[in-house]
Amino acid sequence: MRFAGSAKNYGAVAALKPTDLEIRDGEFMTLLGPSGSGKTTLLNLAAGYLEPSAGRIFIGERDVTNLPARQRNIGMVFQNYALFPHMSVADNVAYGLTVRRLPKPEIQRRVAAALAMVRLDDYGARRIQELSGGQQQRVALARAIVIEPDVLLMDEPLGALDKQLRRQVQLELRRLHEEHRRTTIYVTHDQEEALVLSDRVAVMRDGSIEQLGTAAELYDEPVNAFVAGFIGESNLLPAKVVSVSGAEARIDIAAFGQSANVPAAKGLKAGDDARLLIRPEHVLIDREPDGLAAEITEVVYLGELTAFNLRLATGETVWGRQITDRSLKRGMSVKASWKRASARIVPKN
Amino acid sequence: MSKSPLWLRLLAQISAGLVLAFLCLPILAVIPASFNQASFITLPPVAYSGRWYEAFISDPEWRQALFASLHVAVIATIVAVVTGTAAALGLHRLTGRSRGILTGLFLAPMIVPVIVTAVAVYRSALDVGLSGTPLGLGLAHALLALPFVVINVGIALRGVEENWLRAAAGLGAGPWRIFRTVTLPNIAPGIVGGAIFSFITSFDEVVVAVFLAGYANKTLPVKIWESIRLEFTPVVAVAATLMIVLAIVLFAVAQLLSKSGKKQPI
Amino acid sequence: MARRHIETLLLLAPAVIFLFLCFVVPLARLFSLAFTDEAGPFATFAILADSDVYRRVMVNTFLVALAVALITVVLAWPVAYILTKLKGFWFAFALYGVLFPFWISVLVRTFSWMILLERNGPLNRFLINLGITDKPLALLFNDTGVMIGMVHVLLPYAILPLYGAMLRIDQRLLMASDGLGAGLFDTFRRVYFPLCLPGLMGGATFVFLLSLGFFITPALLGGSNAITLSMLIASFINDRLAWSLAAAASLVLLVVVLALLAATAKVLPFGKGMYAK
Repeated sequence: MRFAGSAKNYGAVAALKPTDLEIRDGEFMTLLGPSGSGKTTLLNLAAGYLEPSAGRIFIGERDVTNLPARQRNIGMVFQNYALFPHMSVADNVAYGLTVRRLPKPEIQRRVAAALAMVRLDDYGARRIQELSGGQQQRVALARAIVIEPDVLLMDEPLGALDKQLRRQVQLELRRLHEEHRRTTIYVTHDQEEALVLSDRVAVMRDGSIEQLGTAAELYDEPVNAFVAGFIGESNLLPAKVVSVSGAEARIDIAAFGQSANVPAAKGLKAGDDARLLIRPEHVLIDREPDGLAAEITEVVYLGELTAFNLRLATGETVWGRQITDRSLKRGMSVKASWKRASARIVPKN
Repeated sequence: MSKSPLWLRLLAQISAGLVLAFLCLPILAVIPASFNQASFITLPPVAYSGRWYEAFISDPEWRQALFASLHVAVIATIVAVVTGTAAALGLHRLTGRSRGILTGLFLAPMIVPVIVTAVAVYRSALDVGLSGTPLGLGLAHALLALPFVVINVGIALRGVEENWLRAAAGLGAGPWRIFRTVTLPNIAPGIVGGAIFSFITSFDEVVVAVFLAGYANKTLPVKIWESIRLEFTPVVAVAATLMIVLAIVLFAVAQLLSKSGKKQPI
Repeated sequence: MARRHIETLLLLAPAVIFLFLCFVVPLARLFSLAFTDEAGPFATFAILADSDVYRRVMVNTFLVALAVALITVVLAWPVAYILTKLKGFWFAFALYGVLFPFWISVLVRTFSWMILLERNGPLNRFLINLGITDKPLALLFNDTGVMIGMVHVLLPYAILPLYGAMLRIDQRLLMASDGLGAGLFDTFRRVYFPLCLPGLMGGATFVFLLSLGFFITPALLGGSNAITLSMLIASFINDRLAWSLAAAASLVLLVVVLALLAATAKVLPFGKGMYAK
């Protein structure tokens, strides 16, 4: 599936700025962003529920820009599932096949197969209202998949589930995707969900895609402070770029009162105000004798890991995380340092 | 979602417009008919005049009918509002079976066909000597209006949160004071709405009135009813026009009140 | 707690006593008349059942009510639909268009129709001028007139429940149907219409029940050519002083209404918001 300059405006407001995006065959692509970032708009353009203000949309070689949803052969899973309340589970799943006027025996066979796939074999005759949220979610998925859609679209499908169930369904979705390799576009604002499920993630903000990449790329090489802040936890410290050479930059870090060479994001140039990204697991305590003097102001025991908050001599605070070590105590004075090669300097926006 | 095609939207709009016209316009036919110069009803009138309005005002029978209607409507409204509001407050405190049964009883006058109620009430009114009196007809109309008061006040009561009452009690207010300062102000729009509806219900009512009004206490609708069957002159159109005007005024008042009370239109 | 119970009783007492004395007792006394005829306890019902005339009246009442219910739901459809689509001024305009007739006396509305439907009235002249007919049609004092008038009076009762049902339909269900490949007709037939059905049936039932007991409109627009059950009851009393027959006919009417109400209340999810979001 491919978007070519697709855009959507409501009057003067651009819900989606002109966007190019290609989802490869069999790829699981997640659109990740806060509400209002344009991810649902993009999904609705893919589905055909919205008409783009500009640009074209292709499914394979087919230009579907002007086709209504019913002619696109897409499978959509809605946020609150949108299951038909007046039909049984089986009738819901059969719906797309029934309106395609397929022969009854084939419909029955495919519905049974789809229900088996989502592990609801014996639920066909049930009424929708009798199902739990997680079961409804799986019916919605079966209904979307049974028509063998060219693209599967999901709009925050796990949003209504509680945390534990969500974890479980995530793994289920991943299993199904690995088995069938169906091209999927998935919308969420939950970064963990995005990382668990996706081949690639498009991080969106204010109607455009900020960065497109694999989970590791987004985590290790965010293009700016927004993406860095949105994916995983991070310390983002003000820093000034002194010079740039290749993939590295020399920066002054006011918070540390020192200069350093660190990997740099694209587009930075000497003199820029930027942000130094240090992931909590890259903050080290008492490893280097010439580390920065700091005080532990908080210790949070998380089980396997322990998180801690450091206050530097400059007054700046930094979060760190390490394998639990009972010796860390609040009020301790320590020498703090950071893994330079894992840090990254990014534009501040 | 994908829009429905233009022809479908046009079809819906045009047919809805026609049905709405069918619903509203015919009602207004009596207005031009009431300004007729001729001594029989024609539409449109050949020439316009106010002579039938003069006839209406100068005829003691029509005047008396108008006052009888107002008299009866006032009795009906007072009885329905007082008993209905108290009943709604009582129902609100009940739960379970007793609530269901009593709700059924209070709404029953709405479900029983009016002709049945009319005949039954007429028979008993004859026996106790209330037939032909404003009180008898007022009570009968209160019967028909009661469900509307119970429903309206009941809806308003649902908007009064239990925690407001707890808060007032916690601040030291007694039950009567809580009712007066918290409950009543919040259900007042419902009571007024119920009162207006009671009034118009009584003022418009014919079936019970035809049986119960008697000779001395003919209400306006009864007088209209008889005149339609006997003479069919434009003076009937005048009376009908007056009833429309009154209904529009009350309708407007009710809408204004329901806006200020943030409720659905009645 | 005891004090609260007494308060509750005192609040309920006036309405309960009032309804008991002015409604329950009169109804009971009336119905007792049906069984205390000199000719035997069920003689009145036998008379009603045996007479051709009375049977015809009952069948006619039933058929007219059925026709009115069918016509109103058909006419209610576009108005209810458009109400869900309109916004702002036009919404208020249309909604008031539905609510306004509620407030106008049934007698006045019926009288208006008498003027309009007259032999030489505006509607007949209009039809003649259009060349649809060359002789005035008999629109008054027959079933046609009764149905026109009753549809007019009862239409809002069909529109409002249907509108309520349409309003509750989650738009995403229609999007889902669209996305699953259903055309307009399929989406209507398999999703939209079934979801409207509770409101449609509720409105139709309501109109039907009200039609059965209608008096003013059939009496004025139908006259002696289209007698309904309620007119028959009135004439038993006014013309023949036959109280026991009136009581029996009233009881029949009430039992039919209550039976239909009980039957439909089981089938229809009145007020439960079965398909509510």
